[in-house]
Amino acid sequence: MNRVAGKIGSVSLLATSTLFTVPGLAFAEEAEKSGVDLLIPSMAEFIPMVIAFIIMWVILAKFGYPMIEGMLDKRAKKIKDDLDAAEQAKIEGQRLLEEYRAQMEDAKKQASDIIADAKKTGETVRADLTTQAQAESEKMIEKARSAIEAEKKAAVADLQSSVADISVSVAGKVIGQDLSDDEHRRIIEKYVEQAGSLNAD
Amino acid sequence: MPTDRNVKKQEIAVYAQTLIDNAGSDDEVFDLSGEIAEVVKAALASSQLRTSLADTSIAADDRVKICDAIFAGTGTSLMAVLEVMTERGDIDLLPRVAEAYDDMAERRLAATFVTVTTAVSLDDKLREKVSNKLASDFGTDIRLREIVDPSIIGGIIMSAHGKRIDASITSQLENARAVLSTTSTGGER
Repeated sequence: MNRVAGKIGSVSLLATSTLFTVPGLAFAEEAEKSGVDLLIPSMAEFIPMVIAFIIMWVILAKFGYPMIEGMLDKRAKKIKDDLDAAEQAKIEGQRLLEEYRAQMEDAKKQASDIIADAKKTGETVRADLTTQAQAESEKMIEKARSAIEAEKKAAVADLQSSVADISVSVAGKVIGQDLSDDEHRRIIEKYVEQAGSLNAD
Repeated sequence: MPTDRNVKKQEIAVYAQTLIDNAGSDDEVFDLSGEIAEVVKAALASSQLRTSLADTSIAADDRVKICDAIFAGTGTSLMAVLEVMTERGDIDLLPRVAEAYDDMAERRLAATFVTVTTAVSLDDKLREKVSNKLASDFGTDIRLREIVDPSIIGGIIMSAHGKRIDASITSQLENARAVLSTTSTGGER
């Protein structure tokens, strides 16, 4: 490659030196021309220029164009590869975006479900606590009612017993004091008549 | 070989027989029954007395002295038996001796002994009515052991052979008190 480049350089240098030397000859002849002759190229400069042009063309056709074409092909391939890669990257990006979106949607849904579950659990717990509190409250009230009822019954029973004791005591005293012996005997007689057999089984 | 129970039974029978043999006439036999009943009642009323008279850690002479002091005024024949029972540590057998004595006495007199408790004394008419009623119950002659106890307020209590009819006013008042104490007032619920 370096050798080819060296050859190209040598040929180019030769052609360039030819081209630079030709105008010198031309300018020397131009000084002698005038009028329309100024517009018509002289053979002395035309032929070397054509030769130089052909040499340049051959050199470029032989070495320059394939190299440039290869570079352009490479460049085009690279651009195409880059475009393909970019397309792939874009597709991958789209895929990832969709995936992320799906994941985001899923995450949102999960978050929503979690919040709904938490709300539901909270509601359930609250309902349970409320029910439990109500049950305990009712139990306590019922217990208190029972205690009050028991106390009331005990108080009533005590009062009843006291009243009964007093009544019986008063009745006993009244009967004992008010009955005469004859009345006692009449009562005894009546009881004896009403009494069952003392010998009964 | 006689068991302890049979020995005790024989001892009870001996004590009762001794008492009835020493009683004398039929009326005295019956009166002694009442006297024994009073002694039994007094002995049963005090557990301390029973314990003291049955306590063999106290010298027998001392126990007899206690017995004499407590049952002073009791008839001679009964006191003699009580002293022997106390000396032998058999005073706990006294209620069973009384039962055995009554059984023997009733057989001897061909009558049933009935204790009648009233708040006032019975007159002849009432006594006859009670006797007739009891005679029809038992089919035997009746001997009434009359006790006047004003604490029963009124009515009559009759007992014989461990059975009892309580037609006293005290008992009826007690029933009334029980009913009043347990009956619901029917008021606020």
